[in-house]
Amino acid sequence: MAGERVPLGELSSEFASVQLTIDHDGNGPRLRIEDLRTGHVGFLDPLELETLAWLPEGALHKLLDPSLLRWRGDA
Amino acid sequence: MTSADLANRWDSLIEPGRVHGSLYTDPDIYAAELERIWYRTWVYVGHVSEVPEPNDYVLKSIGPQPVIMSRDKQGQIHLLLNRCSHRANLVCDAQKGNSSAFRCPYHGWTFSNTGKLLGYPFNSGYDGTALKSELGLGRVARVASYQGFVFGSFAQDGPTLEEHLGAATDAFDRLVRLSPTGEVELTAGWLKHKVKANWKMLVENETDGYHPQFVHASIFSVADSGIGELYGDKSVAVCRDLGNGHTENDLRPEFRRLDQPLGWFGTDPAKVPGYVDQLTAVHGDNTREILIDGSPHVMVFPNLFIAEIQLFVIQPLAVDETVQHVTAVQYKGSPDMNRRMLQQTIGSVGPAGFLLADDSEMYERNQRGVHARTPEWLTIKRGLHRERRDENDHVIGDATDEVPQRAIWKHYRSLMEGQ
Repeated sequence: MAGERVPLGELSSEFASVQLTIDHDGNGPRLRIEDLRTGHVGFLDPLELETLAWLPEGALHKLLDPSLLRWRGDA
Repeated sequence: MTSADLANRWDSLIEPGRVHGSLYTDPDIYAAELERIWYRTWVYVGHVSEVPEPNDYVLKSIGPQPVIMSRDKQGQIHLLLNRCSHRANLVCDAQKGNSSAFRCPYHGWTFSNTGKLLGYPFNSGYDGTALKSELGLGRVARVASYQGFVFGSFAQDGPTLEEHLGAATDAFDRLVRLSPTGEVELTAGWLKHKVKANWKMLVENETDGYHPQFVHASIFSVADSGIGELYGDKSVAVCRDLGNGHTENDLRPEFRRLDQPLGWFGTDPAKVPGYVDQLTAVHGDNTREILIDGSPHVMVFPNLFIAEIQLFVIQPLAVDETVQHVTAVQYKGSPDMNRRMLQQTIGSVGPAGFLLADDSEMYERNQRGVHARTPEWLTIKRGLHRERRDENDHVIGDATDEVPQRAIWKHYRSLMEGQ
């Protein structure tokens, strides 16, 4: 239902804190991820989430390089 | 220093029946112990049950060294040094967690839980990514486990873990045999007791059968416990040199004489019928004998004390400062027995417990006393005249003899003299 948000909860470790919500603002549901330390928000749709579930060991580690996106060396 | 000089030095400090007081107080000797014992031989670090899921991690130590024990996605266990390869900040601070990667809070350097450097912010400042392959987290050179107990050694080469444990492997086998699933879990949480005393005073005390009737008289009296008598002059229990510095108070002869299943635990089978049924389903007719023999009382050199229903991990922090980490043994899948073991642990070594408080008082008094100028030596001759060998050729003595202390110092000397 458009506009509806279903809170899933907060996940925290010593390295990061995120708030997870199912967001229905679009034509289909998606996962809303809020970085609680900065307020930055990102979304993942069901196909992207399914892809994440099938990631091989270490595939996400490429994205965990701080210089790749968030703190780019050439920015 | 030549090997002859080294031998002369230890000759002047360690004799078969006495040891010099400076071994407990000399900072130079402590520094040498770190290099020759703690950073060379196998040291107990943690248990597989403390990182049950992929990407679990827990903070541990090898002596003063901060160690991260992690389980990667494939299930392999790693022992990493908790020190960022950039400016040496602690990478992890939480006592435990679940994460495939660790991010240093100082400058954001990020490492996989296998120790690989994944990246750092603004990499143009390092002329690209060349450093990534060079600057992973430090790691403990060798990692091995026995019955779920994980050990680490900073030495690239040397005896295997099983060679190091030698006859002490039997203690682990006996411990897990009391669990109906054949597995123990260290999931009850840890207490930390810090004492102003040298670490060897703790190691020596763990299998000292001479002190319980004196130091622990009050708790034995309050609890109406028969434990003190196990360490009396009439006891048929023995103490044993298991080799490689591992020592034992073997109470089985006394338990067999008393012929009481679970007598070692201060209870009887009717109180824990579920547990006894579980064990009987596995061991059948042997169950009674297993329940009579009970759990081991073994000091695994240099830092793991298996104390029947508790485990103590000894961590030296300075020549006169040591932490004892304590937890209750839990048998996987035996809630009735686990509840009792936890209760007994809280009563004996918890914050308001008597047993470890008694010992801690003795450790700190010992450390203060050993600074007195004379006599310079500590005597460990008790039972020297009645040492004998058992069927496995291990040296044994009566319950209150100082066979374990002589065994510890013999092995200590061999490690300290080694090149």
